[in-house]
Amino acid sequence: MEIGLDQDQRAFAEVCAKLAAELATRWSPGRGPDDTSPAEPDEVAWSRIVAAGWLAIGLDEASVVDLTVLVEQLGYHTVPAPVIGTLLAAERLRLGGAGQDLLDAIGGGEVRVAPLLRRDLTDYAGTAADAVAWDSAGAEVTHSPDGTGHHLGDPLPGADLTRRTRAVGPAAGHLALTDPGTEDRLRLTALGLTLATADLLGVMRAALDDAVEHARNRTQFGAPIGSFQAVQQLAADCLVSVEASRSALFHSAWAADALPADEAVAAARTAKAFVAPAAVEVCETAIQLLGGIGMTWESRAHVRLRRAHASRALFGDEHHQLRHLTGRLLGENGR
Amino acid sequence: MDFADTPEVARFRAGLRAWLAGHLDEYRHGTGYHSDAALAATLRWHRALAGAGYVAVSLPAEYGGRGLPDVYEAVINEELARAQAPAAPPIGHIAHAIADFAGDELKTRVLPGLLGCTSSWCQGFSEPGAGSDLASLTTTGRREGDEYVVDGQKIWTSGAMWADWCLLLLRTEADQPRHRGLSMLVVDMTSAGIERREITLANGSREFAEVFFDGVRVPAANLVGQAGIGWRIAMHMLTYERGPADMGWVGRLGHVLAAAVEDVRTGRCAADEPLRRRLVACAVNIDVLRWQVARSLVDRAGVAASVDKLLTTRIEQELFRVVGDLAGTGFVQGDDRFDEYLWSRAQSIYGGTQQIQRQIVAQRVLGLPRG
Repeated sequence: MEIGLDQDQRAFAEVCAKLAAELATRWSPGRGPDDTSPAEPDEVAWSRIVAAGWLAIGLDEASVVDLTVLVEQLGYHTVPAPVIGTLLAAERLRLGGAGQDLLDAIGGGEVRVAPLLRRDLTDYAGTAADAVAWDSAGAEVTHSPDGTGHHLGDPLPGADLTRRTRAVGPAAGHLALTDPGTEDRLRLTALGLTLATADLLGVMRAALDDAVEHARNRTQFGAPIGSFQAVQQLAADCLVSVEASRSALFHSAWAADALPADEAVAAARTAKAFVAPAAVEVCETAIQLLGGIGMTWESRAHVRLRRAHASRALFGDEHHQLRHLTGRLLGENGR
Repeated sequence: MDFADTPEVARFRAGLRAWLAGHLDEYRHGTGYHSDAALAATLRWHRALAGAGYVAVSLPAEYGGRGLPDVYEAVINEELARAQAPAAPPIGHIAHAIADFAGDELKTRVLPGLLGCTSSWCQGFSEPGAGSDLASLTTTGRREGDEYVVDGQKIWTSGAMWADWCLLLLRTEADQPRHRGLSMLVVDMTSAGIERREITLANGSREFAEVFFDGVRVPAANLVGQAGIGWRIAMHMLTYERGPADMGWVGRLGHVLAAAVEDVRTGRCAADEPLRRRLVACAVNIDVLRWQVARSLVDRAGVAASVDKLLTTRIEQELFRVVGDLAGTGFVQGDDRFDEYLWSRAQSIYGGTQQIQRQIVAQRVLGLPRG
């Protein structure tokens, strides 16, 4: 039993955190909805991401644990760049047998792909009908399982300010893809769930850190509000949720690497069922602790709450996971 | 990252399973704390477990332990829960207090009985006026020659009715600030001047007692370490009180869950969709709690105890609410689990209330200022 990140993974987390924080400073919610920076990274940001190797690590035999180290930082800094989308699209293409040239071009940031998900975001899409291109700001193409490439349409309305979902446009070329088979399809689902969970952990951790920092400094009645028991009780409960969510993420990521595919999906669903509502609640409580300032457009608090809701929906919210787990646990009578 | 057993732990686990398969039936029946016969059966079980080498294994071998990491203690608790065996004796924290702080003479005198479970121990901490604010306790030990004379009262002392020894936290240094005035004494419970009164809990449990000390004479040789370090020892004990034991508790919650799941799965218990969903959410919670406890054993010393206690409280109390809701009207018509539900309400009170645990987390982990 060795539950935690190893030395290399901790070093990788630090490197990721540094660039993620930098990328975050290039983006601003602005003064209002019409003034917000785009979710699409500019050329400089994209080249930094490419240089960091973030788009290629999934193709470089990184473990799922490694990927979660990166994604947690993307969530923590609410990074406005389609890295998670690229990782999910690239892994789908790799398991579908896409050529090495294409994978290299994706890893090198030259071909910008987005994952084709069902419109309800609960899994990869089987066909382009009733599907969307998720986390696709700046992407050029998304692929159906049959290998058909599709142009991307306009951004669809969405709560998340740092990632965009776009409509699927007309066909654009064709790749020779094969069905990855049940085992690999389950692995893709486990990966998607686990990365969503990692993003949620990062977002909720940042929300709590921000709220705690505020509570230390904001003075009322002549004392920092963080010295009041009512404030401390809320913050402490948030930390319990964060710590439990980290344990859930660690297990989900380990299971995706180490367990048979069906068990990996069950572990990932269990983790997501716990972390999704916990993350939203922590982001909500953070706004409560920030008070009025947390309700302003300029505050990052709503940016995090928006992203938490989006990642909660990604590969299914807690209700969706519990429906699946109910069947597994309770059988026919549990239907 | 690895949630699986190392080969050594796997071997240890297999050995324990084999021992349980061969011996559990001989000991499992009639244990508890509700009657003299049940108590005798419980103590017999503790001695059997100790004899097989499965008690306080994290203590050094020279004191009767096996010098193994905490994770082995957790495996024992987990496997006992899995086999639905009676729990291990809750003595790890007392053993660590004595092994890590007492002088050689005291260690040699009391550790074999403690670890061999041939003597029974209790821990005298809480007082009527010192619950959450433990350091305000007023039970005093006045030094007279080579003895302490002890006066005062303890409450919520589990096992006190049948304990042979008490590890007592008391005030010996009247001139010192409150935390530094405390010491830890090993007290013979048969000493003159000790009176015990049973406390019956809301669920009928008779595990707790009040203990009164009236001029009780205790040899100064029974002082654990030096005078004035009682608070330090108490804090050290708290780090051993939870951790590994939590793994056993998770296992026991798992059985409660499994029974409820079986009731629904077989249709014995009619549950509508929302209730089924809440039951599955409890299963999710218990998995997450298990991973959290496992992680606490290896990844984060120190801050874990309060966080884990709060998480356990949250999860256990919701589980028993769901169990009650599944039982429907039957829950108030003679269902045994009603008493277990009542006990779940104590989780947020004993060992540091939920409010105090949150305050500890807020101030010591999150660094929020004291009010």
